[in-house]
Amino acid sequence: MAGLALGAVEARAQASNEDIVLGGSIPLTGVFAFAGVGIHAGIQDYLKIVNDAGGIKGHKIKYVAEDTGYKVDASVAAFNKITSQEKVTLYYGDSTGFAKTINPELERKGTMIMAGASFASELNDPKKYPLQFLPGPDYTEMFGILMRHIAKEKPGASVAFVYSDTEFGRDPIAPGEKLANELGLKVVEKIVTPPGSVDVSTEVLKLRRARPDYTIFHGYVLAPIPEFIQQAKQMGMQSRFMGTFWSMDNSMVEKMGEAADGFMGVMPYRYYYDKEGTSPMLDKIRQMRPEYQSTAYMQGFLTAMLMTEAVKRTLDAGKELTGANMKASLNSIKDFDTGGIIGVPISIPGNSVPVGRIYRFDAKQKQMLPASDWIQLGT
Amino acid sequence: MRIGTLKLSYAADESLFDTKVQWVWLALLAVSLVLLPFVAGPYWIYMACLVAINVASATGLNILTGYTGLVSLGQAAFMGVGAYTVAVLEIRVGTPFFINLLVAGAMTASVGVIVGIPSLRVKGLYLAIATIGASMILHFVFAHWELTGGTRGLSMPPAHFFGIALDQPHKLYWLIMPVTALMVLGAANLFRTRVGRAFIAIRDRDISAEVLGIPLLQTKLTSFALSSFYAGVAGGLWAYFFRVVTPESFPLINSIFYLAAIIVGGMGTILGGILGAAFMTLVPEVLKLVVGWLTPWVPDALSLLAPIRTIVFGALIVGFLIFEPQGLAEIWQRIRRFFHLWPFRT
Repeated sequence: MAGLALGAVEARAQASNEDIVLGGSIPLTGVFAFAGVGIHAGIQDYLKIVNDAGGIKGHKIKYVAEDTGYKVDASVAAFNKITSQEKVTLYYGDSTGFAKTINPELERKGTMIMAGASFASELNDPKKYPLQFLPGPDYTEMFGILMRHIAKEKPGASVAFVYSDTEFGRDPIAPGEKLANELGLKVVEKIVTPPGSVDVSTEVLKLRRARPDYTIFHGYVLAPIPEFIQQAKQMGMQSRFMGTFWSMDNSMVEKMGEAADGFMGVMPYRYYYDKEGTSPMLDKIRQMRPEYQSTAYMQGFLTAMLMTEAVKRTLDAGKELTGANMKASLNSIKDFDTGGIIGVPISIPGNSVPVGRIYRFDAKQKQMLPASDWIQLGT
Repeated sequence: MRIGTLKLSYAADESLFDTKVQWVWLALLAVSLVLLPFVAGPYWIYMACLVAINVASATGLNILTGYTGLVSLGQAAFMGVGAYTVAVLEIRVGTPFFINLLVAGAMTASVGVIVGIPSLRVKGLYLAIATIGASMILHFVFAHWELTGGTRGLSMPPAHFFGIALDQPHKLYWLIMPVTALMVLGAANLFRTRVGRAFIAIRDRDISAEVLGIPLLQTKLTSFALSSFYAGVAGGLWAYFFRVVTPESFPLINSIFYLAAIIVGGMGTILGGILGAAFMTLVPEVLKLVVGWLTPWVPDALSLLAPIRTIVFGALIVGFLIFEPQGLAEIWQRIRRFFHLWPFRT
């Protein structure tokens, strides 16, 4: 009898301490693999830190991921597989397409919250996507941060947008133009390039005619940004060239060669090598991985951190781990210290973390270095 | 074992399945397909639906490329036309799904006929390039037309059947699997008719076919229309399955996927389209399972083995092409022949 009772107690203890599962559709192969590998490592490392410290209220966090090759059908397959084998509470998705496709299922299940590699402005709508969030500013907000910086540095400056003809590329263009007008900037040219285009000479000529003070690239990872900048510089253009998150990784910018010098852009996270001030999390990362880690790594790391924080706050409040409860806990995050991953305390009032900083590439140090203070939108 | 099949009439000679054993196996397959949603988990039902959609589309391409000998790399774009048609109808008109699917098929068939016009002049690789050109135009339209929602695409509500929302794989299975079965059966029977045999005649020698009195333009365009109809319905099923259609949903690589599927499976056989589509869809997933089994022994097997998995998949395709150019269907036939004479000859 006593044995039975003991068994029952043990079983309950086990149930209350069951693992919390973070599932992931991760693009470890395919066109987005460079980011997927970093994201995968970042999530794993943060969860290792949490689990080594005893987990959240005794719950360990288990990471179950599948490779998707950056294909929506494979991502959905991974989601179905993982959610049918585990009781998933947190999920990481790999693309805008996946985030949109899985949203009805996410709401139907109501048991998890999700973030991912997409910063699509469309997802930054708590009404349409109540159980998702973006671990940084959306693409429109990135444009907002860039243009605020421009307006401060050179009021009334002229700006050109160069973007790819994809959902990713077109995302912030219309709202970006509106914002430029509000900030007193002039959008003098908008150039759209076909996805994967390499020869950009005619586009560069078009850009030269417009003579913008600033040129913002969006919707690319690397090509054709270097070709663009090189040709423009050869023609004696004085424009400053800028990028958004996915074209801002240090190793990527380094690959641009000569074109990289002076390349600027918006980055919501601090770089691996940034030693300014106290940053316990960056110190830990450098301790765990002595070699450079990409900005995608930081993205995965911070996503895991924010998700874990949402779980912790929900459990602290004595609430059940449902999607709605966790999202509410996530939205209660105010002036949260990320341990140096982001340089200022952050808040998540809606679906995004609208904060970022302008960095500029220094060819001598071969590093992206801060060129502005942290810019917080909506303040 | 069996020593032969006795056929006493032309009808018996033309029949799809000539022995009782085949009918028994077919019945078993049908029963297992009916039972699948009751025994399998959500992941396998999802995969079954995905395979079924790919089988429908690959069968369509097989009619065009495998049976008529017209190489097309536009299958994915045709699926896009079907998917967008279904999405637009579902969002704007709200017609029932079976009408939407039929309209999607018809719409895609008419696009297919237009794309097929160059096929009278050009063949082989030239036609393949012409179809790539057509799919580029279609992609441009998808991405820039207001009706198709531009680059953001369309998100659509689920299909409804007597008030039941078909919003999950285990419900959609009852739509996707029967439609695919019907389409495959239709394709198999097509080649018992004059039209189907005309396709084969054109594939084998178009000049001879013309001499025999087969109108080339009309027959080639019929083949394009039928193939596109299949792609359109498959695209429509795809739209109901994922419920988000964007210009990036049907890239050119998907057309290559379907072409690879019928080559690996066996061109010009219905079984080939089925086996090829199943192979191309399931093998990457099975390889993922293998990686999963290795995880206890290899730390972080996922990230270490992901690239190797891709290489293995590619190597498997190359291997099949070298060792069995006639595809999986031929391997299947060989297995069957083995059992026909077993145990007397092995």
